[in-house]
Amino acid sequence: MAYEQVKVKTPLILRLLPVLSVLAFFGAWQMVVDREIVPSTMLASPIQIFQLFLVKWTEVNPDGALLSQHIWTSVQEAFAGYLLALLVGIPLGLAMGWFVVVEGLGRPIFEMIRPIPPVAWIPLVIFWFGIGISGKIFIIWIGGIVPCVINSYEGVRMTNPTLVQMARTYGATDWQIFKQICIPSALPMVFGALQIALALCWTNLVAAELLAADRGLGFLITMGRKLALPDMVLLGMIMIGLTGVVIGIIINYFEKKLLAGIRR
Amino acid sequence: MDGGKTRKAKIEVRNLTKRFGDLLVLDQISFDVGEGEFLSIVGPTGCGKTTFLNTLSKLIPSTAGDIFIDGEVADPKKHHLSFVFQEPTCLPWRTVRENVAYGMEVKRVPKAEMEKKLNQIMSLVGLADCADLYPNQISASMLQRIAVARAFAVNPDLLLMDEPYGQLDVKLRYYLEDELVRLWEQLKSTVIFVTHNIEEAVYVSERILILSNKPAKVKAEVKVDLPRPRSLIDPRLVEIRKEVTELIRWW
Repeated sequence: MAYEQVKVKTPLILRLLPVLSVLAFFGAWQMVVDREIVPSTMLASPIQIFQLFLVKWTEVNPDGALLSQHIWTSVQEAFAGYLLALLVGIPLGLAMGWFVVVEGLGRPIFEMIRPIPPVAWIPLVIFWFGIGISGKIFIIWIGGIVPCVINSYEGVRMTNPTLVQMARTYGATDWQIFKQICIPSALPMVFGALQIALALCWTNLVAAELLAADRGLGFLITMGRKLALPDMVLLGMIMIGLTGVVIGIIINYFEKKLLAGIRR
Repeated sequence: MDGGKTRKAKIEVRNLTKRFGDLLVLDQISFDVGEGEFLSIVGPTGCGKTTFLNTLSKLIPSTAGDIFIDGEVADPKKHHLSFVFQEPTCLPWRTVRENVAYGMEVKRVPKAEMEKKLNQIMSLVGLADCADLYPNQISASMLQRIAVARAFAVNPDLLLMDEPYGQLDVKLRYYLEDELVRLWEQLKSTVIFVTHNIEEAVYVSERILILSNKPAKVKAEVKVDLPRPRSLIDPRLVEIRKEVTELIRWW
């Protein structure tokens, strides 16, 4: 083929920069704890956390579950809430962007619910769902749905009007235009929503797990606080961070595959 | 206006009027376009050409009057209308070939027929080589060729073009104009070509309608009865160009 893609290699020094910054960060942290600049009751060193990390794979105490079980519980809750947020939020946002009836019906209610922080739902959620997993999923869901709706809505709104006119002159129906023009146009924004919603769901996880949980990374943090174990608190925080990064990478991978035509 | 004297009138525009509030933009425009005719419309800048096209294509409703195709009121869902816009309107998530196919997809042309038509059109407009590329991988002139190919592919009852080559450089424009004429000769579509470039209008069309300043009316009609292929330095063509220029005179 006459048209070939050129691969540009990133210079070594640029690829080393992130490694350097991470090493420097952990090095400084370790030093601050070793020299007791901050007392060990307030901050654990990276090495202590790593040791606890290794121990927690096989040791159930003192919080009652293995690290893998905490991660798995959290991932389940977060993903259930996240997927529900996507399943409801994206179609709703897309439809609100194109169909005036849906916008008229959906928008006022959505705008009313939107400013309520997800944690404010906790008391009601306990009345409704008790303290089981469904309540936590609800909290995560209601936080995650907001960016899904907004981004999908804006994505459709930003569709190039000439493309819509073009489709109209060919006699396309409203539904065809929505499906063939608006949705593909909105996809980059929708994928933005996937990332934002994931971040929000993951953030709301700790809040959701404050609901009398007995497992989960948020629960691990809560237990660390109750037992005054800063290394456990930090382990929970870092695991939330790392798991979030891994999920982010997975989503990025699918985004690139799906948007090959637009982002090339 | 008597465009349809020698052949049957395919398109009849009757008293087409458009007002935006108090602003009268189109004032009772009437004319016919013969079957398979290539008609150009020129007019002073700002005379309402775009409004005229949008009304003709039914993108916006007219205040009064209407456009008839084969005696029926035009309807994008029933008739095959095509519109080539000033800016390239390619769908960035579709390959070149899929873009050309878009109009036919909307009209639910059967698969086999669509493939056949695609192959014909793609080689006619020289897009066969980049069929599987995406719009952001090809040049601006190619993008406009996609739009032109897509427009011809649906066998339009009426093909409307809104200064499709206005943004291209002169050399490329000549090349694409030739290509357009070739497509039109082979596929025998009825074309209304709007431009502010008088030379272009004389070069490509069989007949030219000249619009007046706002509110736009049909001010004059000029027949371009020259054999093809035409030459821009043919004294007869230059003569007609001067005549049209005199009729417009917006400076």
